[in-house]
Amino acid sequence: MSLLKPFNKLPDLNTANILLVENEEQFQQSLANTLVEEMAVTVKVRLAKSLPLPMENDESRPRIDLVVFIINLTSDKSFESAKASLKYLDPGYFLGKVCFMVTNARHASVCTGRLDAVRKLAVSLHCPLLFAEDQTPEGATSSARRLLTILKVASGLVPNTTALYLSNLTRCTIPLDIDQPSFD
Amino acid sequence: MDDSAKRLLQRLVRRIPAQMLKVTLDKWDRLTAKQRKSVDFTQSKWAISQELVALCEESERTVKHIAELEMIYVTENPNQGMWHTFQLVDPEDDAHAVDLMLFKEQFKSHLRELKRNMSVKIKKHTDESVWIRIAWGDGLSRPNHLKATYVVHYLQTPYVFVSTLSSKHKPLLLQALTLSTRHQQIKDANLSGRKLTALRDLLMRQYQHVFPTKYPSPLAERNQSISNLHIEKEQAKASANRHRMAGEAFGNGILPALQSAVFKLETKFKDPSNETMTARDEPFRCGVKFSSTNLLESFRHCASSGIASTPVTPLLSSIPLKGRNYFVITDNVPTACSQMCQTQD
Repeated sequence: MSLLKPFNKLPDLNTANILLVENEEQFQQSLANTLVEEMAVTVKVRLAKSLPLPMENDESRPRIDLVVFIINLTSDKSFESAKASLKYLDPGYFLGKVCFMVTNARHASVCTGRLDAVRKLAVSLHCPLLFAEDQTPEGATSSARRLLTILKVASGLVPNTTALYLSNLTRCTIPLDIDQPSFD
Repeated sequence: MDDSAKRLLQRLVRRIPAQMLKVTLDKWDRLTAKQRKSVDFTQSKWAISQELVALCEESERTVKHIAELEMIYVTENPNQGMWHTFQLVDPEDDAHAVDLMLFKEQFKSHLRELKRNMSVKIKKHTDESVWIRIAWGDGLSRPNHLKATYVVHYLQTPYVFVSTLSSKHKPLLLQALTLSTRHQQIKDANLSGRKLTALRDLLMRQYQHVFPTKYPSPLAERNQSISNLHIEKEQAKASANRHRMAGEAFGNGILPALQSAVFKLETKFKDPSNETMTARDEPFRCGVKFSSTNLLESFRHCASSGIASTPVTPLLSSIPLKGRNYFVITDNVPTACSQMCQTQD
């Protein structure tokens, strides 16, 4: 089983490594371009379509500090692919080193149950759920900024905080009326 | 100027968009420069058409001249109306020797033999294609210029594109074409669409092909498409493979703008969870239509992004390969373990 493990490699100095997993491979590219522009810290971005990651890159791959699953709510395949990829992550990642990012939440063709399903998944794994707008560069910039905040903590570059502490504040919670029918 | 000419002119003026009208009239060259200057093209179309009718009556233009105008417009703007393709098969020995003059003579004479009282205009376009406009009439009535058939043929190629042809006149036209191009048979090529340029480019393979090679990227430096060193794709090889296979199936660069493809399925229903439907013996008939502003690019993107599985299924890759967009799909003769579908004419 080729699990991705959070602590089996040594960290680099003043570097943060983030893995963006997206089935469509679209938004991750613009996010990556914005993320690497960060000056204070060296951000290295790895892009993948799904997990497991190929074995050939195991040696050259640095320690991944944060894994972000980008789910497009208009596509069922996107959600299924993200769910299938979760199996290939070591459980150690779920202590604050995994984040879900959702795009197209306001799109007209989104089926209502899917956002709830993503929410429930994020709640069960104690992960934050971020909403992103992927059509404009401003959307990419603002999502990148939010990811950077979490990334800096997850890679240990913020003193007196760890990913687990932060996840207690950022993790997704389920609203009490999630099982009530919505007003659409 | 008689009634039919007036009506044709009025219909034309309505059909041609305002910006193109002046240009087309200049090309037509049947009105003097003074007459053309006197028309005010900022008026409403109805007013313009009244003026033009008056001018044409002044210069005694007949319906033949107006038909010329229509032909000029259609030749310059071929991407309208519905074009159907036919393919000439079994060339005779002298099929290669057919040149424009011979073709014109033979076509006109064969058509006249079959049917009297039609109006035929043949013109050679700048890109070496032969355009034919036929207004059909029968023994009793005059040729109907309002529903003219247009035929486009590139000499020495086996393809003919036809628009606005009624089933009554179809056998006549096809016979005349076959005889005048010295072939033995003509058949439906199962390719139709609105954009003539797209159909032509698809059949004449005028797009960038990708040929399968054993060593796809001999120079590693060529593939440094990601600019930043800090960004790295984990599954780059798989992604490059998908790109390559999509390119091999559909081609690189800009693809001909085919807009629809229709698959008529006559296969047995296959769904393990639905017993009642699967138990039937007769084929389940249904039609699947794909439409898009550029269908081939959409398919190529589906294959390269992983939405469609690679290697690309022959159902989709045979659209550019065979140059057709209408398929009838039936099952193989069923054997115990055969599950494959096969395309048939």
